This record gives sequence, structure tokens and C-alpha cells, in this order.
Amino acid sequence: MIESFKQLEELAGDRDLAEVFLESDEQEHAVPGEQILEALRKRRAVMRDCVDRGMSGGESMGRLVGHEAELLNRAFQEGRTFLDPLTVKAELYALSVMGENSRMGVIVAAPTAGAGGIVPGTLLALEEERHIEQEKTVRGLVVAGGIGSVIALSANISGAAGGCQNEVGVAASMAAGAVAYMMGGTTRMSIHAAAIALKNTLGLVCDPVGGLVEVPCVKRNALFAVHGLTAAQLALAGVESVIPMDEIVEAMVRIGRSLPRGLRETAEGGLATTQTGTAIAKRLKEEANQRRAEKAAERERAAQERKEHVTHD
Amino acid sequence: MAVRHDRKVSILDVMGPVMVGPSSSHTAGTARLGRVAREILDEDPKEVHFFLHPPLAATYRGHGSDFALVGGAIGLNVDDPRIPEAIRIAEQMDVTIEFAEEDLGDVHPNTVRISIRGDAREVEIVGSSIGGGVIEVFKINGFQTRFKGDSPTLLLFYRDRPGMISEVTKAIAEEGINIASLYCSRKQRGKDAFMQIDVDSPLSEDALKRICSTPDVEDARYLDRIP
Repeated sequence: MIESFKQLEELAGDRDLAEVFLESDEQEHAVPGEQILEALRKRRAVMRDCVDRGMSGGESMGRLVGHEAELLNRAFQEGRTFLDPLTVKAELYALSVMGENSRMGVIVAAPTAGAGGIVPGTLLALEEERHIEQEKTVRGLVVAGGIGSVIALSANISGAAGGCQNEVGVAASMAAGAVAYMMGGTTRMSIHAAAIALKNTLGLVCDPVGGLVEVPCVKRNALFAVHGLTAAQLALAGVESVIPMDEIVEAMVRIGRSLPRGLRETAEGGLATTQTGTAIAKRLKEEANQRRAEKAAERERAAQERKEHVTHD
Repeated sequence: MAVRHDRKVSILDVMGPVMVGPSSSHTAGTARLGRVAREILDEDPKEVHFFLHPPLAATYRGHGSDFALVGGAIGLNVDDPRIPEAIRIAEQMDVTIEFAEEDLGDVHPNTVRISIRGDAREVEIVGSSIGGGVIEVFKINGFQTRFKGDSPTLLLFYRDRPGMISEVTKAIAEEGINIASLYCSRKQRGKDAFMQIDVDSPLSEDALKRICSTPDVEDARYLDRIP
């Protein structure tokens, strides 16, 4: 089993990084490498579908978000975007996935649903813009998943455990490592890409408005998809993280533990308790109560009708 | 930094599951917890009570955890597009559903106690959704354990006596099947006891029958990997 990034680098040597992860997973979980690749081919297709569906937008469950992808897509199609196409697409695809997620659509948790736009956003944008074979993207997903699995050995991957750094931070780290790999970087570069990305998300809190995976989650995925790309860019140029990846993960766990409970997905701090956040939470609660009351009344009526029905018989 | 071997997750666990949004810990993980209860019950439920740890009770509604928990409890997979309709489907199946808040102690924020009843059985589990759809069930019918649903598993409820573990593991060894982990606990010496055996490959019907016929085995449940 690969227990640390240090060990991973030694073990991988000059070999293909995806192959190293597949081998390790096969030994540990008794799932043949080809079976993992086949499952990931399907998941890549689910990601692609999700991006396509999400691009047209639509209101979220909490009605706080839903049209971000649609707006950016329109600007892009009309030539009104100023960033390069790879960056715009990474943002756009991440927004699309997160929009679908907020409408209870089918997505791939990567590694979580709340951070599920970053890996597909970066990898699918790269595949298109740099004309990379689909199969290489699938292997990129192996690398992303492999990086996440090593992080997960010492950290809980959830906002409730350690804030947003544990979700969006980890997703950006996985994406950065995978992008470096897909661009032909060495294993050392992939690990440093992952390290640079993760290091620069430390301390990110999880403070969702109304407790929904909508604000700030949807737009944050778009921004951190780009963060993942830039981390990979630095690493591919030879820039290295001074603090080794294993120690960054350690720091993340420590920071997560010292975050107050209100900033760990409870919606009791940060953006959630701003004036606007509080007002939205209040509205959501009132709406939920109203729906419950309506439902109860409906059940009551149905029961009453059944009763009358029995009496008439 | 301590590496937690019990936390090892596969590439497919990290890069997945394919699921209905919006939250892997509040939707996918909770659906899987509901599903664990349903799989142990092994029949259509009549009544399901969910007791949510306070942090989960505060956040579950906005994430559709109520749909997900109920969806799992009636046997839906985490990627089933009917999950948003699960409560309505359960009502049509005449399943009584209740949600309540309960302090479950020093546990992960997203922890729930599920009490599920069918015609033949009654099952209670306590488990946490620890992120990314990954779960840890640490109590089954009052017995301490550690169940993740990521491998085929045999659950045995039996009367505590010497030799039980060796008889059961021998039967599994004779099948040429490797045991990945084994947890035992009992409520009192010589009384109700429980064994959870995670195996690397599926157990045959024959092997199950032989294990179940071991003297003093009261109930046995074989669970596949929880999707």
C-alpha cells in the first residue's frame, strides 16, 4: 500500500504514475486494473454528460444559484470572454457540474459532490483544448483518485471534518496532479503540483449559506479549477513546494481540527451568518415549514377521504 | 502523521460514487447508511425511524438527506434518479417514516441512528457519513463493530461460547476465501454475541448454509458490497 507521497515518489521512479496507482489498488482492494479503468471510462462519460446538461443552467433546489454556467457559456460563445479558452472552459465545466449537482442531478463525487466540479472541469477542458485522447483523461482520473486516496489515509475528506480545504482543497490538489500527469510531467512534478495546489487552499472554511451546497460552493469550484491549472503550470515549469506534500496534508488535518465548529459545514458562521446569508436561511426555513404544513394537510385530507370511503361502504 | 489503515479507500471510492447531488456526505453517504439498514433487514420495511445527531439535524434538509436516507432504506442506489422522489415512493409503499434529533455522543457530525422494522426482523444501526460517500457503521443491533460496506461481509448473531470463532473461520478458510477483517463483540459472557467478517471474495450459498448451521448461530446475514 502507498502510505505517503514520499513513498509514492520512490516507488514510481520513472514508471507511468497511473500504472503505479492501479497496481497498488489492485493489490490492496483486489480489483483488477482493467476493471478500475472500465469504471472510470464510464465515470468520465457521466462527467461529460453532466457538463453538457449543466451548460444550459436551471434553478437550484434552494433557488440561490443555477444560471452561472449559462451566462459564462453565452459570453464565451459570443466572444466576450477575455481569458484563454482552456481557463474559460475549466470554469464553465466546473460551473455546469455544480449546477447539475444543486438540482439533484446525477454527478460524480470527485472526491465529494460539493467539490465535484473541479476535476471534471480541469480534465475535460484540457482534453478538448489540448486534443488529448479520452483514454489519457481516464488515466488522469486514476492519478487524481490515487492522490486523493493517499490524502484520505490521514485526513477525513469532508467539510464537516476540516472545512472546505478538505473538499475543494483536496479536489484542486487531485486535479493539479492529474493535469501535470496528462501534460507529460514526471511523478515528482505531479506530486509538487498537488502540493502547491493544496498548500494554497489551507484554512479555507466551509460556511455554506442556509447549509446548501450552493453559495459559495458553485462559483468556488470554478475558481479552484483554475487554481488547479495554475499549480500544475508552476510544477511543470520546475517550481517545487518547499514544504513536502505529506507535511502539507498533516498541516491541513491540524488546521481542520482547530477550525471552530461554526466554520465546518454547520452554516453557523462565516458567509452563512452574514446579513444576507441569515436572511436567506430564514426564508428557506419558512418555505420548508410551509411545505411541511401543506404536506401534513394533504395527508390529513387523504386520511379523511379514506375514512369516509369506508363509512359509505 | 498517523496513517489510518482502516481508512484506506480505493481509487474508485475517491473518484466517485456516481450519485444524485448535492452532497456526497449528506446525500450519497446517508443513502448508503439507509441502504445498509435495508440490506441487513432483508425485506421491505414497514417502519423506519431516523435519529439524527444535532449537526446533521441542523443541515440535513437543505442537502436532501431526508430523501437520501429514505431512498436507501427502501433500497435505492445512490445514483438512482428517483432519490428526490424517495419520500413519496415510501409513502406509496406504506412505510411509516419518522425523523428526530438525538445526541449520539462524541461522534462524527454526520451520524445517524436508524431503526428499521419489517415483518420478520427489526434492525438498528448507528453510523457516520464521513465524506465522499464513505460510511462507517459502528453499531449493529447494539453490538460494537466497524462496517464500511466496501467488501462482501458476513454478519453473525450467535450465543457466545468457546470455539465459535475458529469454527466459523475454518468454514470460510475451507472455501479458499481470505478474511480481510474480523470484529467480534458480545453483550455479556455466554450471552448474545456478534461477529462481522469482511471477506475478499463472495461466499457461496453452500458455505453460507454450513456456517449458519454451526450450533448456536441465531441469525446470519450476508451482505454484498453496498453500492
